[in-house]
Amino acid sequence: MVSMCAALVVTGATALTGCNKDDGAARVGSDGKPIYKIGFQGPLTGESSAIGVNMENGVKLAVKQANARGDLAFHVEYAASDDAGSPDQSPAAAQKLIDDESVVGLVGPAFSGAAKASGRLYSEAGLVSVSHASNPGLPELGFRSFVRSVPNDNAQGGAMVTYFTRQLKTKKVYVVDDKSEYGVGLSKVAEKQLKEAGVEVVKAGVPAKTPDYTAAATAVKHSGADALIYNGLYSDAAPFAKKLKDVGFDKPKIASDGTYDKKFTELAGDAAEGWLLTCQCLDANVDPGTKQFAEDYKTEYKAPPGLYSAESYDATNLIIEQIKALGGGDGGDVRREAVLEKVKKADYKGLTRQFSFKENGEFAGNGIYLSEVKGGRITLKGNVDTLVSAG
Amino acid sequence: MTLLEFRDYLVPGLALGALYSVIAIGYTLVYGVLKLINFAHSEVFMLGGFGALIVLTEVAPGHPSGLVSVLLVLLGLVVSGLVGAGTAFGLEKVAYRPLRKRNAPALIFLISAIGASFFLYNLAGKLFGRDPKAMPALFDNGVLFHVLGAPVDVVKLLLIVAALAMIVGLDLLVRRTKLGSAIRAVAQDPEAAGLMGVDIDRIVSRTFVIGGVLGGIAGFLFGLNSQVSFTMGFIPGITAFAAAVLGGIGNLRGAMLGGMLLGLVETYNVPLFGEEWRYVAAFAVLVLVLMFRPTGILGAKLGRTA
Repeated sequence: MVSMCAALVVTGATALTGCNKDDGAARVGSDGKPIYKIGFQGPLTGESSAIGVNMENGVKLAVKQANARGDLAFHVEYAASDDAGSPDQSPAAAQKLIDDESVVGLVGPAFSGAAKASGRLYSEAGLVSVSHASNPGLPELGFRSFVRSVPNDNAQGGAMVTYFTRQLKTKKVYVVDDKSEYGVGLSKVAEKQLKEAGVEVVKAGVPAKTPDYTAAATAVKHSGADALIYNGLYSDAAPFAKKLKDVGFDKPKIASDGTYDKKFTELAGDAAEGWLLTCQCLDANVDPGTKQFAEDYKTEYKAPPGLYSAESYDATNLIIEQIKALGGGDGGDVRREAVLEKVKKADYKGLTRQFSFKENGEFAGNGIYLSEVKGGRITLKGNVDTLVSAG
Repeated sequence: MTLLEFRDYLVPGLALGALYSVIAIGYTLVYGVLKLINFAHSEVFMLGGFGALIVLTEVAPGHPSGLVSVLLVLLGLVVSGLVGAGTAFGLEKVAYRPLRKRNAPALIFLISAIGASFFLYNLAGKLFGRDPKAMPALFDNGVLFHVLGAPVDVVKLLLIVAALAMIVGLDLLVRRTKLGSAIRAVAQDPEAAGLMGVDIDRIVSRTFVIGGVLGGIAGFLFGLNSQVSFTMGFIPGITAFAAAVLGGIGNLRGAMLGGMLLGLVETYNVPLFGEEWRYVAAFAVLVLVLMFRPTGILGAKLGRTA
């Protein structure tokens, strides 16, 4: 059935309409305009839900504003799919979006493990997934519908190393990850680059939800390392930070974007003080380019934008732009395959950065930002490259 | 591993072991009187943590110290113990007693326990939020003193002292009081105990409550050391269950020994093999012990030995 339809699509527009019933593509709103859905897959429940909700809100805001502008020949709707951040639940979450035939593109999956687990399903369905997952290996897996809207962990791991070796002149670094797809990937990159820079590396994996971080913190202290890198999520970084403080490890500590969340400072309290945090994301609350966005976000959700809210907003608008360019609502061909092709070739200027993608879906751009926890608040220090050259 | 390193892992290992012991006792007590594994015990632990968190967040000032700190810790212990006791009491009433009345097979009890566990932790996630929560600062967690040069901070000391007090208290209760002899009687032979005039239902319920007090307090202590979340019961619960089996399920001193052993093995595993091997090492010990002593370290014979 599907292959017959594909053949018919090529032959003409009438066949296309006939096929739309089978493919079930465009649903039509009460005013006769077609409805396209933009999905989101990420953790909406579970311990990492704060990150997922930040992203979801960005997507929802973009959808709402696109419809409110009134200049579109189609309606955009939002479709949520919760994977709890887990690779196990990811295929089911992906299938939910794939089965909803009005979904023509999605933002997510949010996490690398989840992206790996559902990439094949999205590729088979030809459904473009604009993901913030930052594990470097992802584009190598051959998922044709995966594009990445952030610099990958090579860039983030590289920035940590650059800052440590060139700014702080560290000699021995203790690298810890949470044994997740995300954490291990980042640690590999950091380890490789540290060794290249001639810095001694001690590497350890502390599985997420370890009941007691005291032993791990004691091991850090005994290693004689003069700096620590933690690659994992805030829910684990916080108890680890507490124990590092308890055992008296007072050397520089840097953590990846999974820890870049105000909940890290709430959970760890005083122990979070002085921690450095890297992120591909830009703090939408302080950057002039995202001022209007931050205000709209606050009006909508009664809370300031969080990690990746602005980037998710950008990714959503990027997909909407491509639907528009395909002639969505004006008889254009807005099937999943067409959207996928269009997104992969996009060159879109968002609020946070310029978005374009390499052939394998890798993000073609740069920019890692460094922040520090000061007085219980995450404060932006600036772009790592700028900081290092200035220092 | 140098001697210096060996020394520094001792206190964290004992503290973690003490925590596992206290939770393991909850499993072993209930097993003693009912020959059942109460898999919802991990949720008693979790709710004890939340109970203390909620009350202490209301009453704790910004940076308490001195006597206020002591009172707050006592309040935390009392609240978590009460919440744990209440939860365990309710669990027995809702998830076990109706099944016992109908003489349900053991498998049904197991499913009922797992169901209760899923219900409780998802309910907690819904009610209290799915993000981890930090216990409010009750004291400044500085180093109190050194044992052979190894630092002991307030949380670790509290964990060890509270656990020891509970273990000793329970041992006395079971061995010296009337309730204790009733519990032992039901564990040894419920039918004979019933014929001798022991109210079995009441003893079973009280056994749950005692295990609940310990489990709830363990939840509070765990939260002080780390943080509180709706899924926090899972790993400590499974580990403590393993500890109870390791020591000889149904045997109180066995549960204490098993808990201590697993806590120490998990902790010393970090400098020896690396944190990645935490559970591998702990459960390798479990399997090894059970291969040679299928009834556990202190489980002298197959049968009920509370």
